[in-house]
Amino acid sequence: MTTKTYTRLQLAADQLRAAVSLFIAGRDRFSVITLAGAADVILSRLVLNSGQENFTDDIIKREALRTGIERPRQEVGKAVNDMLLINALKHFDKGEDGIVEIDDLEECALAAILKAMANYVVLAGKKEDWVKVLFFWIKQNPDLKKYCDPNCIEPKPEAEPQTNIPVTPPSGSNPPRT
Amino acid sequence: MPTFHKSDIARSQLETAVDIFLKGLSYHSVITLAGAASGILDGLLLAASKEPFIDYARRVHAELQGQMPGRVKTAHYIEQRFGISAHKHLHETDTETVELDLERQAANALTKAIGDYIELNGQEEPFVKAFLQWSWVTMDGQALMKKYAEVPPKMRPKTE
Repeated sequence: MTTKTYTRLQLAADQLRAAVSLFIAGRDRFSVITLAGAADVILSRLVLNSGQENFTDDIIKREALRTGIERPRQEVGKAVNDMLLINALKHFDKGEDGIVEIDDLEECALAAILKAMANYVVLAGKKEDWVKVLFFWIKQNPDLKKYCDPNCIEPKPEAEPQTNIPVTPPSGSNPPRT
Repeated sequence: MPTFHKSDIARSQLETAVDIFLKGLSYHSVITLAGAASGILDGLLLAASKEPFIDYARRVHAELQGQMPGRVKTAHYIEQRFGISAHKHLHETDTETVELDLERQAANALTKAIGDYIELNGQEEPFVKAFLQWSWVTMDGQALMKKYAEVPPKMRPKTE
């Protein structure tokens, strides 16, 4: 047992790799969400530190195109994390009943991974085997259509503002930032 | 809509953490999963009027140092010592790298979480037994118990 130096990206990448591995292997979905959520906190900040926009910024922009309102990054980030249950899976507040309602645990787990992966790919690309495995799984998964919004129109660069763009991951058939 | 109780969620996280730990697959992930499970178990213990690890640590500190540290401060200190904070937080001003003794910190994070889990649910489940067995063998359980026999009653867990 010895002390070693790790980059923040290493900390995040290893957790995301574990989340992807557990997900593909059909293992515990709560652990998948917890690991992907923790990785994403680090990755989101690293993307910003690199001078680029992170996945939350993408959501804010898409939402602003649709509604004309640009919400603060912190507010949107918390809303997404609450939707993906990331906070509920690591806290028990005084007086709460401990019950967590989850409409689709599988979808939450995949969305948590995709959100973190969107940020990871910005920083490190798609060259690692475990990243390729996830994107291969996405292509092969016959159930992926259930995540598609039939009204989804992927915005093009420099395009006019469009409507009906989903604001939550996973965004239809186009995984973010691929 | 399907519902889950957080006690079951913590169990799932902990079971996964022990499995990953014993296989040596990702100590980073063990730290995060044990930390998340601890966050739930701590609240469950308080709700059950039992003593979580954090409060036991505060009580021991008070016996040794003469003053009781704050609960939030102690919780943050423990999360930093076990590497939990570094695996789930990053601020704009943080350093680009972090020094970690991964395996030791993963074992410590798991020990804390398993301790709280046992306080609530006992130690009969296979993943709990597996980790206790690992601890007994690798940390010289017999020598530890000899030392523990000398610990004064005021510094022992309240369950005794």
